[in-house]
Amino acid sequence: MASNQATCDGSLSLIDFQIAANDFAEKWKKFNSAYPEWLWIDCSNRLGFAAHGVIDGYLSLQNVFIRRSLEEERDEGGCNDDEEPFDNATLSTSDDGDQYHFHVVYSPSYRVPVLYFHVQNTDGQPLNLDEIKTNLPTKSAKVLLESKWTFITQQEHPYLNRPWYMLHPCGTSEWMKLLLVGVDNSMATNGTERYMISWFSVVGQVFGLKLPFEMLKSIG
Amino acid sequence: MAGNENGPVLQFAAFQSSVDEGFWHGLSSLKLNKLKTDESPISITGFYAPCSNPQVSSHLTLLTESLPTEPSDGLPTETSRGNRNKCSVPGILYNTNTLEGYHSLDKQGLLKAEAKKIWEDIRSGKAEEDSSVLLRFLLISFADLKKFNFYYWFAFPALVLDPPATLVNLRPASQWFTLQEAESVSACCNEWRMSSLTADVPFFLVSISSNSHATIRSLKDFKACQQDGHKILFAFYDPCHLPNNPGWPLRNFLAFISARWNIKKVQFLCYRENHGFADLGLSLIGEALVQPSQAWQDQQHVPNAVGWELNKGKRIPRCINLSTSMDPTRMAVSAADLNLKLMRWRALPSLDLSMLSSTKCLLLGAGTLGCQVARMLMAWGVRKITLVDSGKVAMSNPLRQSLYTLEDCLDGGDFKALAAAKSLRRIFPAVEAEGVVMAIPMPGHPVPSQEEHNVLDDCRSLHDLVESHDAIFLLTDTRESRWLPTLLCSNANKLTITAALGFDSFLVMRHGAGPLTATDESKAEPVSSLSAGVEEMSMTQGDSKMRLGCYFCNDVVAPVDSTANRTLDQQCTVTRPGLAPIASALAVELLVGILHHPLGISAKAEFGNSLDGGNSEQPLGILPHQIRGALSQFSQMILVGHSSNSCTACCPIVVSEYRKRGLDFVLQAINHPTYLEDLTGLTELMKSANSFELDWDNETDNDDDCVEI
Repeated sequence: MASNQATCDGSLSLIDFQIAANDFAEKWKKFNSAYPEWLWIDCSNRLGFAAHGVIDGYLSLQNVFIRRSLEEERDEGGCNDDEEPFDNATLSTSDDGDQYHFHVVYSPSYRVPVLYFHVQNTDGQPLNLDEIKTNLPTKSAKVLLESKWTFITQQEHPYLNRPWYMLHPCGTSEWMKLLLVGVDNSMATNGTERYMISWFSVVGQVFGLKLPFEMLKSIG
Repeated sequence: MAGNENGPVLQFAAFQSSVDEGFWHGLSSLKLNKLKTDESPISITGFYAPCSNPQVSSHLTLLTESLPTEPSDGLPTETSRGNRNKCSVPGILYNTNTLEGYHSLDKQGLLKAEAKKIWEDIRSGKAEEDSSVLLRFLLISFADLKKFNFYYWFAFPALVLDPPATLVNLRPASQWFTLQEAESVSACCNEWRMSSLTADVPFFLVSISSNSHATIRSLKDFKACQQDGHKILFAFYDPCHLPNNPGWPLRNFLAFISARWNIKKVQFLCYRENHGFADLGLSLIGEALVQPSQAWQDQQHVPNAVGWELNKGKRIPRCINLSTSMDPTRMAVSAADLNLKLMRWRALPSLDLSMLSSTKCLLLGAGTLGCQVARMLMAWGVRKITLVDSGKVAMSNPLRQSLYTLEDCLDGGDFKALAAAKSLRRIFPAVEAEGVVMAIPMPGHPVPSQEEHNVLDDCRSLHDLVESHDAIFLLTDTRESRWLPTLLCSNANKLTITAALGFDSFLVMRHGAGPLTATDESKAEPVSSLSAGVEEMSMTQGDSKMRLGCYFCNDVVAPVDSTANRTLDQQCTVTRPGLAPIASALAVELLVGILHHPLGISAKAEFGNSLDGGNSEQPLGILPHQIRGALSQFSQMILVGHSSNSCTACCPIVVSEYRKRGLDFVLQAINHPTYLEDLTGLTELMKSANSFELDWDNETDNDDDCVEI
């Protein structure tokens, strides 16, 4: 039932997306356990009723912590009233970095997965696009963003109804087609599984999220 | 860190908070829809998990689901129960209605109240049943829902041990256990973490028998464990990753252990994970000495508490701003900008968006053409638009004039210029739209002397409006109303675009550069491509072929009163409805083309498939001078018209006369129908032409220069 479509034109059907997403999450947990897990967030009930047989949901990876260089402490005037008694049993620490949240959402119009992301600092202040770009860790991120295949834009998150950033999907099927060329078409089921891992091996680079070699090897 | 003979004071790593944006969105809508001004405390749920990364501590997080859901929702409250990645912890939120209220909260009092709850749960034994109450936390906040600033401050109440607990030793668990014990402990911890019944229970006992077999028991089984005589470790999910310090949950755990079971020497296990499984190298085992406090004997006594979260080392609250995801205006601006950027990334890398957004456009006429041009300009990212019109919105207008609705027609009708500006702001709040209610003085419409003063004022205003904008669109419905604006634009060398409609035909054109240098160009405007070509043009007064023509250049006669001697239904131009949107769209695209052309106003006329000026380098395509369209043929022609030395609006004589005599000149032109023709020598020209008995055709077609598309 899993179609070969993925290898033919670079796109993915909704059903295949769910299969591929779950497979991807499992492989990630197995091979990439240094990171938190991907969770499937089921949204089939979001309209208040469960439409029969309709799959609705997305993959979510929360709280990937990426450090950044310490910046100068901003001196904020604070209210220092109600001085607590000094407590020598407290060790104060703070981690300097940002929290990244990634969601993989299916786009019915482009028929490809789309990487949505949201970044906030330790205060909970969301980062804007310029701030995110300056913190992108790897050189390949810059190369990717300057190519015409991938660029960051903002869109209302289809399930959370708040603006999130995303890697625009208009080029995805084109480069997925190239990426999947030469894949053995006789392994019908593998086509779908390959899709997500191949897809993520490209888009993850924007954030320096590399897939471990074993994970890439697992798709042949 | 002064210790005593028992060892150094045990230092606990402070808990850190992390609030997801969704929590604030949820709180905002809770406040707006349900709580309104009610300031009673709200029960919320926090989530944390044991440390899972050797370099980063876990945080206590708040998510959208931390807030209480509507009881009427009927949705299962499964999310408020935890799972292995989210241990749920009870908390309380005090959200105030004002910033002053927030600052004047009795923080110490609130902290004491929560500490008291923890203390009472310890004494009553509730903590044995549901140990997560030991991690009860407090959050104070103020949500400014006008500016979308959120002020907040966490407290993690910890009962102060007096004297403080001291540390006897602390080391990685892998060094404390034997190999067999380690294996057994790992296995049962992983099992504990896998089971949905126990995965979110943060405090437990590890009981190790003499044959190195470990089992996990819940706190309420402590007495039974004691009787077994096995080694007992007091274990808890430790959010901290540091190798030399246990995490904050141990504080209340020690207080509990001491108060409940009167144990002085506590062996504890800081449970931490890596790669999803128990990591005994990261986990710590230590021994602490807790001296019972005399004061605790007193039933009424509540120990002191500490725990306000430090913000970068300082005891100050945090503040974040969420307007980019909550303020509709900011979101609209952001979406519009990103949309244009997409166009640039994907198709048109040379698009200059900042130039477009800063180009000030003046639209003379807020009718069928004006409304469409304004909308198209906004779509291109233009943000500064001024509309000039003296009329009011009539009942027939909303159908063809896309900025108006029926509401604008009521009570005699709003002024078009003002209604149009308001409409633009309603479509896109960040636009700087202004409406000017003013009539444009026209030659051939003589002015009675008592009106002279007003007319001169209008002329002055128009002069200033032209000077203060970068691009002017002539979108009125008569020829003579275009004369004065054309003159002023020529004088100021401004980008000028004319759009004019017949019944089923249209003209869209850009005026050529002005004839004279601006000798008094004292404005400190940066020399942009808009006027770059002026220097080249300045010396070519005699050679008007270098300049492209304006709307009047091909007229032989001066503009006269075209509205007189016409029947009523011809006075207001009746056109095929499709015409105005087509012409307006072309006018705006033409402007964008000029703005991106390196020569700007002085760009030469370009044609579709000619050798001359076939610019494949210009990504937007060719830049014509004139486009004439005929809807009856669904066709368009690209034409050029050069400037005429006898032009009544833009020739050097007229412009210099204006510069010399100013408004007197204008008034003379308005009041005396033949003045302009005399001045420019058109009168002479006609006389000499008539003497040759040639037929003058008023319609001029520059057939030589037209290329049909």
